[in-house]
Amino acid sequence: MKGRNICICILGLGAAVAGCRKTYAPQVVSSGNTLLVVEGVIDPGSDSTFIKLSHTVKISDTTKVAAEKGATLTVEGNGLSVPLTELRPGVYACPPLNADATQKYRLRVKLSNGKEYLSDDEEAKVTPPIDTITYEPTFRGLKISASAHDPSGKTRYYRWDYDEDWRFNAKFFSSYKVVNGVIFPRTPADLRFSCFSSHASTVVVLGSSVKLAQDVISDQPILTIDSTSEKISIRYSILLKQYALSKAAFGFYENIKKNTEQLGSIFDAQPSEIAGNVHSTTNPAEPVIGYVSVCTVQSKRIFIDKTELPAKWITKYPYDCRQDTTWFSNPITGAPEVKAFILTNLTLPTQEIAGVGTALLGYYRTDFICGDCTLRGTQKRPVFWKDK
Amino acid sequence: MKKFYLFGICCLFIAQYVKAQQSAGSVISVNFQQATIQTVVADIESKSNYHFYYDAAQFDSLKVTLQATDKTVPAILDLAFNGTDFHYALNGQQVFLTKGKILQTTLAPGFFGIKATPGVPVAAVNTVSAFVSEGDKIIPEATTENKLYEIGVKTNTIQTGRATLSGYIRDIKSGEAVTGASIYITAQKTGVATDQYGYFTISLPKGRHLLSIRGVGMRDTRRQIILYSDGKIIIEMMEQVTSLKEVKISADKVANVRSVELGVTRLDIKSIKQVPTVFGEADILRVVLTLPGVQSVGEASTGFNVRGGSADQNLILLNDATIYNPSHFFGFFSAFNPDIVKGVELYKSSIPEKFGGRVSSILDVTDREGNKKKFAGSAGIGLITSRFNIEGPIIKDKTSFIFGARGTYSDWLLKLLPGAYKNSQASFYDFNLDISHQIDDKNNIYITSYISRDKFKLNSDTSYSYSNRNVNIKWKHNFNNKLFGLFLAGSDRYQYDIASFDNPVNAYKLKFDINQTNFKSDFTYYLNTSNTITFGLNSIYYKLHPGSYGPNDPKSLALPDVVPAQQALESALYLGDKYDVNDDLSVSFGVRYSLYNFLGPQSVNNYAPGTPRSSTSLIDSTNYSSGKIIKTYGGPEIRLSARYNLGDNLSIKGGYNTLRQYIHLLSNTTAIAPTDVWQLSNPNIKPQYGDQVSLGIYKNLKSNTIETSVEVYYKRLKDYLDYRSGATLVLNHHIETDVINTRGKAYGVEFMIRKNTGSANGWISYAYSRTFLKQDDPNVGQPVNGGSFYPANYDKPHSFNFVGNYRFTHRFSLSLNVTYSTGRPITLPTGKYYYAGSERVYYSDRNAYRIPDYFRSDFSMNIDGNHKVHQLTHNSFTIGVYNLTGRQNAYSTYFTQEAGVITGYKLSIFAKPIPFINYNIRF
Repeated sequence: MKGRNICICILGLGAAVAGCRKTYAPQVVSSGNTLLVVEGVIDPGSDSTFIKLSHTVKISDTTKVAAEKGATLTVEGNGLSVPLTELRPGVYACPPLNADATQKYRLRVKLSNGKEYLSDDEEAKVTPPIDTITYEPTFRGLKISASAHDPSGKTRYYRWDYDEDWRFNAKFFSSYKVVNGVIFPRTPADLRFSCFSSHASTVVVLGSSVKLAQDVISDQPILTIDSTSEKISIRYSILLKQYALSKAAFGFYENIKKNTEQLGSIFDAQPSEIAGNVHSTTNPAEPVIGYVSVCTVQSKRIFIDKTELPAKWITKYPYDCRQDTTWFSNPITGAPEVKAFILTNLTLPTQEIAGVGTALLGYYRTDFICGDCTLRGTQKRPVFWKDK
Repeated sequence: MKKFYLFGICCLFIAQYVKAQQSAGSVISVNFQQATIQTVVADIESKSNYHFYYDAAQFDSLKVTLQATDKTVPAILDLAFNGTDFHYALNGQQVFLTKGKILQTTLAPGFFGIKATPGVPVAAVNTVSAFVSEGDKIIPEATTENKLYEIGVKTNTIQTGRATLSGYIRDIKSGEAVTGASIYITAQKTGVATDQYGYFTISLPKGRHLLSIRGVGMRDTRRQIILYSDGKIIIEMMEQVTSLKEVKISADKVANVRSVELGVTRLDIKSIKQVPTVFGEADILRVVLTLPGVQSVGEASTGFNVRGGSADQNLILLNDATIYNPSHFFGFFSAFNPDIVKGVELYKSSIPEKFGGRVSSILDVTDREGNKKKFAGSAGIGLITSRFNIEGPIIKDKTSFIFGARGTYSDWLLKLLPGAYKNSQASFYDFNLDISHQIDDKNNIYITSYISRDKFKLNSDTSYSYSNRNVNIKWKHNFNNKLFGLFLAGSDRYQYDIASFDNPVNAYKLKFDINQTNFKSDFTYYLNTSNTITFGLNSIYYKLHPGSYGPNDPKSLALPDVVPAQQALESALYLGDKYDVNDDLSVSFGVRYSLYNFLGPQSVNNYAPGTPRSSTSLIDSTNYSSGKIIKTYGGPEIRLSARYNLGDNLSIKGGYNTLRQYIHLLSNTTAIAPTDVWQLSNPNIKPQYGDQVSLGIYKNLKSNTIETSVEVYYKRLKDYLDYRSGATLVLNHHIETDVINTRGKAYGVEFMIRKNTGSANGWISYAYSRTFLKQDDPNVGQPVNGGSFYPANYDKPHSFNFVGNYRFTHRFSLSLNVTYSTGRPITLPTGKYYYAGSERVYYSDRNAYRIPDYFRSDFSMNIDGNHKVHQLTHNSFTIGVYNLTGRQNAYSTYFTQEAGVITGYKLSIFAKPIPFINYNIRF
């Protein structure tokens, strides 16, 4: 019953009487207790296993990830006992297990404070490959969908996440730079016009074929990119990862999705918590958030070029950008604008202003964010990047 | 006719009085041997001037053996009839022979103002006072106030004892029955109200009475009667044209204090129509929500909650047909066409024993009867809906029909919206057609039907539609003045379907429907002046299809999935008595024995006893064949209430009720979604049980123009179905694993002051009420809130309503409506964490927090065209503003992640003042 906030659309006497949505920060009494959060997939196949450990924080906290550092993690099962090492604070990993994908595995977590947790034994699931990733322009933007199938019919529950990469240009081409108060023309290596940017998925994408006669996922919508998005201004790439889930894991992810991605209609299901498959070994009543699945991972990458998209789609630069004239000496006021705006590194010079003949009168200037793409991306070309 | 006879006889008496004196003295001689009456009469007539009048058939058993010489005719007749049941009467030369009764040929003493001689017994034996039997008599149509109407078989003197007066009250203009009109006899301090069909019965001492008659929206009137014996009367009332916009809640000004029931409110359509609503169209459910003890979860939600009960615990009846979904258009409109509806009664506490099947309340909506005298109609135009109705006689004064239709044209509105909502569609329509036919004064037939359909699609490829379909036929039969019967047969259906088209591989169609076939027989027996007995038998056969899922496209791979149909039979037998112990104490006691059979064919899952029901504790299933009784539930339900008068205008009342409910609505949303499923009780799902004790004080002030009341109640609910976290309710083949038996308790106090008459009228209500639920089923793995009490979704402790109307002139009035309530409970997150690329929230105990308080005021102006009776059409406008202060009331709050960060939002609908206009035309 999603999307029922129809209310926004009620008009009276022709005058829009729109509903309104305001941010809401209620006073919530936090219990103060923090709960352990375990996220990750044990990959019995040929990929590394990554597990993230963190704990809950208060709603008002600004901390994004409260990493749980210094824990000891072990993948167990089928006679194995493989320790994980902490790569970054709260991120633990082990090399590919290459284990028997028909057996059961579990994760043991021992925190630095001595508390111990264990995930339920989960049967390894073999994820079928992604068949296709398709995209089509719709009125809402570029819709990217995936299809997959499992002839054995064993998968049934699917989850996806993805990494997006794209090339983008700054709003204005800057031909000059300022080094130690002196303006130099940029060399090709110095250009700050074209960059790459990337983003990891923030939503849970789930799909299921349980109601279908065959284990087929057909054009499952993964995401929709706004037609004005900078992501599709030049060239875009998506790496889609597919995971097979157990029914219980599917329920867990579905609940997470319901609780944080719903639209707020009173026809939405009420929020509630679903326990994952990680439990404290000493206190079974202690809630632990997280579901540790055991499955292989399938991935697929595609590229989408601007030329494949409708020509009428115009990219909206995410900042309000303008160029202003900046004179060595303003013809009217006589103000030394280049010195005041450019040499002080307040703004970025883009092009020169030439007068009659070749006399240099000044520069066009713009904000750094409008002329320097490295402020929002990197010029390092991703290793997988392929130009058209 | 009777009057004509009497008059004629009177004239004869006077004209022949003199002659009779002369011939009375002549003598004759007779000799009869086993003579028949014919022989006797022929012989006497041949020997005297007398003429005999008699019914030969009555005298066929008479054989006269008599010898008399020189006797007067009266003396001969005395001898002949001595010791028999035959009598004679003389009037001059005329002899009237009768059997069993003596014909009185003289006027009653005192007829011409002469006092009866003391000591002379008058009419010591039965006397015949009319020449026509009661069956042939025309029931007097009492149309004027100043005339004295004679009821029953006229006698010369008013006899002692009581007689039963039964009657019918109708509108003089349309011929339609006037429901709920009160007939009050001030001198006797007694009164009665007409039933749903305009009939009433009252027992009174024989003699002269002044009946004061008051009807909803009718001009108060009086009738003078002389009650001789049991009889009937038809009273015609005039519509109160001059006060079109007067608030009338209760039909009877003293009903508030005098009736035995507690927690019963009656609203008529005129008071409903003057309460401002968001789109200007009168809305019954919105007005019901302003009554104390009635709550809803949100502004645009389906359903309502009565005294802490959930929305599915209300039985909503439209002309005795069950309406499963009482809303249109996401709850912005109610399912009842305001132009057809006559009135509505809400039973919050004293639920009459004839009703049952839900544990919280009964909302009984009744349509008008069509105009029996002439064709009439009305039409209304609003911003997004229009409506039309027409009514008229099929056979004048006997048969009439009324037809109503409503529809939307809201798609234009949705098209104006920004891109994200552009592809939305929403529309509904409904039709009512009712026919009433009066066969004779003892038999009436009513046929009522209703159909509604809603369809919407919200910016996605999924379309939803639902529909109510009801039809029933009722036969009302008056066995006699004391016994009335009503027989009903009908069929009700509610269905919805969800369909998806866009992706051919996934295209599906999901259908749900519930059907019930009803049979009802209700009897009312007026045993005597202090006992009114009701009894009857009701039964409902349910056939429910909980869900069928299948492909909606030839290419679709959707796997058909059908949850098998469920069948059940719910029957109830009831008996109740309203007993007036004395003038001050009345008791109403009723028992309803309800019986529920869950029927095959069905496959019932068996679970390991003593363990939480889940797919792991499922042992096996048992198959039952068609028609087999799988499980029987049942038990008595008690309906008890009593009233004690503490003074003329002050009374206290108490009541206790128990109720059982065998059908459940499964919903895991805050409000009822149009697509929630109903579920019948089965071996794994127990019926709901509720009981309520309530107490109230009622006082009327300023000669019954102001009514005040205070009621307190405490209510318990057992086996209410709540859902498990993450439950799947649609297409679930083992629904019992996803629902939890929940216990509830509710208590509160309700205050109400209302003024029904005058240019300023309306009501003020305040209620303090609490509702808590608790999951104490030992078979529940993880109960909500660890098995302790938590507030229900609709627990709003404080609620205040003001509904007021001020009439400046007969053509112009203003209405104001003010509503305040505590915000409803919500579940808020207590913590957040990072998962799957985003911040996520961890939720607190269920319903531990509340949304901000709710406040709204609405205003409307009602402008009527001129009131000249003879014009083609009558026009009226309603102009108003909804949410006058523009307060941004929270409709819902939610936490959602955007670009990986959690933000809380408060969503308001109708966040600004909303103007509306409605144009109505009557013809």
